[in-house]
Amino acid sequence: MNIINMLQSSDFTTLIPELFLGAIAFIMLFLGIKYKNPKLYSAMAFISLLIAIGLLLVFDSSVSQTYSGILQINDFGLFFAIIMIISSLYMVLPSTREVHEKPELFYATLLFVNIAMIVAAFSFNLIVIFIAFEGVSIGTYIMTAYGKSRRNLEAATKYFFTGTIATSFILFGSAFFYISAGTFNLQNVAALQSHSVLIALIFLFVGFGFKLALVPMHQWAIDAYDGSPNSVSAFLSTGTKVLAFLIILRIFLVGFSLESVDVYYLFIIISIITMTYGNIAAISETNLKRVFAYSSVAQAGYLILVLAVVGYNYSANANELAILAGMYYSLVYIFMKGGAFFSVGLVKKENAKIDDLSGLAWKSPAMAISIIVILISLAGVPPTAGFFAKYYLFLSLISGQLWWLAVIAIVNSAISVFYYLRLIVIMFRRDGDNQFDLSPSVYYPVAIAAIMMFALVALIYEFPTIQTYVLGLFGV
Amino acid sequence: MLDYEWFIFLSPVLAFPISLVAGKYRRNLSGYIATISILISFILSFMVYLQIRGSSTPIYQSYNWFGDINAGIYIDHLALVMILMVSFVSLMIHLFAIYYMGKDPNKHVYFAETALFTGAMLGLTISSNLVEFFLFWELVGLCSYLLIGFWYFKPNASSAAKKAFIVTRVGDLLFLIGLSILYISLADKVASPLSIAYIVNPASWPQIMNYVGTTNLTIIGLLFMGGAAGKSAQFPLHVWIPDAMEGPTTVSALIHAATMVTAGVYLVARVFPIYTHSTGALDFVLFLGAFTALFAGTIGIVVNDLKRILAYSTISQLGYMFAALGIGSVIGDSAISFALYHTMVHAVFKALLFLSAGVILLTMMELRDVKKMGGLWKRMPATMTLMFIGAITLSAIPFTASYYSKDTIIDASWQFFQANGYSLYAFLPWLMLILGALTTTVYTFRFFFLAALGKPRSELASEAKDPSKIVLIPLIILAGISLVMGQFQYAFYDFIDAATIHVTVPYIISMIPTMMVLLGLLITIPLYATNGWSSINITRSRLYKVVKNKYYLDRLFTNDIAERGILPLSSAFSTFESRFSRSIEALASGTMKLGSFFRRLQNGVVEYYFIVLVIGISVVFLMIELLGGF
Repeated sequence: MNIINMLQSSDFTTLIPELFLGAIAFIMLFLGIKYKNPKLYSAMAFISLLIAIGLLLVFDSSVSQTYSGILQINDFGLFFAIIMIISSLYMVLPSTREVHEKPELFYATLLFVNIAMIVAAFSFNLIVIFIAFEGVSIGTYIMTAYGKSRRNLEAATKYFFTGTIATSFILFGSAFFYISAGTFNLQNVAALQSHSVLIALIFLFVGFGFKLALVPMHQWAIDAYDGSPNSVSAFLSTGTKVLAFLIILRIFLVGFSLESVDVYYLFIIISIITMTYGNIAAISETNLKRVFAYSSVAQAGYLILVLAVVGYNYSANANELAILAGMYYSLVYIFMKGGAFFSVGLVKKENAKIDDLSGLAWKSPAMAISIIVILISLAGVPPTAGFFAKYYLFLSLISGQLWWLAVIAIVNSAISVFYYLRLIVIMFRRDGDNQFDLSPSVYYPVAIAAIMMFALVALIYEFPTIQTYVLGLFGV
Repeated sequence: MLDYEWFIFLSPVLAFPISLVAGKYRRNLSGYIATISILISFILSFMVYLQIRGSSTPIYQSYNWFGDINAGIYIDHLALVMILMVSFVSLMIHLFAIYYMGKDPNKHVYFAETALFTGAMLGLTISSNLVEFFLFWELVGLCSYLLIGFWYFKPNASSAAKKAFIVTRVGDLLFLIGLSILYISLADKVASPLSIAYIVNPASWPQIMNYVGTTNLTIIGLLFMGGAAGKSAQFPLHVWIPDAMEGPTTVSALIHAATMVTAGVYLVARVFPIYTHSTGALDFVLFLGAFTALFAGTIGIVVNDLKRILAYSTISQLGYMFAALGIGSVIGDSAISFALYHTMVHAVFKALLFLSAGVILLTMMELRDVKKMGGLWKRMPATMTLMFIGAITLSAIPFTASYYSKDTIIDASWQFFQANGYSLYAFLPWLMLILGALTTTVYTFRFFFLAALGKPRSELASEAKDPSKIVLIPLIILAGISLVMGQFQYAFYDFIDAATIHVTVPYIISMIPTMMVLLGLLITIPLYATNGWSSINITRSRLYKVVKNKYYLDRLFTNDIAERGILPLSSAFSTFESRFSRSIEALASGTMKLGSFFRRLQNGVVEYYFIVLVIGISVVFLMIELLGGF
């Protein structure tokens, strides 16, 4: 086949956003020989990610299936691809001050990670998913280690070690999947009813559950979030988590087609353990960033509730509502968790304690209000987007006849209110003379997150449109 | 965006924070801010009048809120006359309050609250949805609580405020239940179940009857009337209003004339189609109103506290309004016109009476016993003349405004008697209303003669003086209106409802109310215009005792229901509560301990993490196996 034809084939055009990002990444690496200013690269990354979103929107709606079904382009994948890019966009500009050396490498890595994310958002083949996922993982190992302090390196090492275990679980799971199904393409294997299918299911769940930081695969996350630069923690706990959520959704709803498998209690139990563990551990935590890390673990538990509802499969309406709520939750989650991690940057000390926030409300009321908005959104208090995300999620639980699970989730929300409100109380204390870092790279991300907590509420009116995307999850 | 009509209620509501903050630095400013905000409301209301006087299309603008609540504004002729009345009377009272509250150290709080009070009432009046209506209704209740207890350092005032709040809360609860029933019956079947525009539209009634059914509609009507009885102080929920006199007199004027008690009448008038479709509820309204009119009138005769007499007279007059509405089963929508007209008239003369009482009380150092007054006409002629105009209007002396409004209601109740085939039970409303008219005259002239004539019976009364003429201007305006307003009776009826019928009863029957007034004068003049009252002693009579103790209703509520019934229940709850909260504390400390345990697991050593992982995953496997797997 001649190369011109290949470039014009419809299969190929779908890869244009990825190719574009890759080209920019290599250009960055070349420029890195001469220019060392991180701002240049962050601006480049920012613009190219924006262009990538544009390219995705322009090219991807044209085709639905490429490379014999390995990639399937649809609105559902597009939605997630775009919100994952948004999570990168959100951290690109503020991250400049945390990248001291070799900025070109950091931002090029970020673009490579984004390429892998876009591919993963559309892939329907376990091997492609695996490769894309590894692309994300290895990229984030590098980004975690970027601070070069002892803590960063320790975090990166732990992340890397546990990550390798996750990788091996995924590989084993894929292998067992292949044994049962005879292909790596995602298709319904549940009907096969064999032990290898069960093993594949659990292995894949555990493997991808690592990235989502589900209990008991969560322990790396606390240390890694704590040890990384703030912007990287924000990215780790949002972008990669959303990716893992998407992949778990896709593998389990397409590959194992829960209609005929009643393993929904696996998801129910894991989500209960994860929510409860995260919230209770956060209650007694005094390190600010670790509080957010634990709360991030708890949030993953809420996300898995989506699978519980779909697995229980009470009615098609409830399932659709649950997936819709999951999509909305992921989007809201990016800003509320990302904003929370960026707010840690306010404290000038290393290893910020929650008490170090005291007096913030008097020194910078605008910042304090922004953080309060983010916190009440995390706690799920109206009228913030976090409330609506939780509301629709719990509504889907109720309409899926999982009343008791909704009650447990609500009790968990109530527990979480304790440590979020405690932070608010601390901010209003007058004791201590803490110095706060109010530079733009902290100020803007937090303020933007707070604004988004209200702006995203408007998206509820688009739910009927987004609901049509849900069908795309199952492919063609 | 928002049409200018929204600012009818937004203007005073916005004035609330502004005058609170501005008044903190400049005390005097707050009164002007509040007054100007209400002036704006009045002007806007008047603009609405000019806009829709000729047309029957209401002004309707709303936004969807929580799915099917069309929160917004809905102004038809009914709402229009209410907002004109509320904003005008409230404006007069505010003008007077600038003088009356002039020396109060917390007057910025007072004016902020009265502005909010008026704003809430205006908002209630032009709500386009019953949920919104209810929110403003509650806001009115809250403001009344704050204002009745405005002199919170007086123990009476703070307990009166609590009483007002709790008693009206009983009504609010009934109202809320009624709302819920109506909503549940209509939810998901119509676009906006509690929309006022939907309820008042005759075209929607076949649908409503179909979905709700007559029985439920009657229950809803009764529950709404329960809510209205709480707010509008009808038997047996009237007990809060006499105590509410502990607030500043201008607050009493606001509550009685403009902002609070008319809300109940307005509620029934607003959702009147509900009542016209359930005769049972309507008859209940009629009998309750007529009974209250007589009942409160009798208590008014034996009370000595000037403001409380006025309070009972309000209860009694509100009874007339409800009775007018209750006659709707016979005269149809004309009932709204009759009731609303009396509401307007009552607002004007009651504001006048309260404000002149305020002038008296200011000179009398808040001494409210009429037996301690006397001879005031000579000492403060201007005030007492104004009060006299208020008194003759209240007692419906011919050609004052009340003569037209009240006698129409009494005549209409005769029609009710006629339409029900002259049966005995249909005779009762008319009888009670006519006797109520007698009591009205008696208590009115009793207090007026006691205060105005004779010799001063206390030090303070003998030194009373008129205030300057400027502060009396609002009163003079009100007095003028209460004298001439009666001439606009039919124009008013036609404005509210072009099809208002003109009540015609036998000539002799239509004369009876006037006879009653004369009879009342015949009783009071010999007794109270002279010193005759001091020579008779009726305190020993058993009837007197019963009436004097307000028919033991307060005692029933406080001693029997509250102390014997609710207090033990409440202490039982509180015991349970404290046990419960102890167990919650135990739970909380347990949770904290669990949290520290979880944190110890997170010790930073990666090898341990793998152990947790292996154990955890093994447990997951086990679970899957045990729970069935495939």
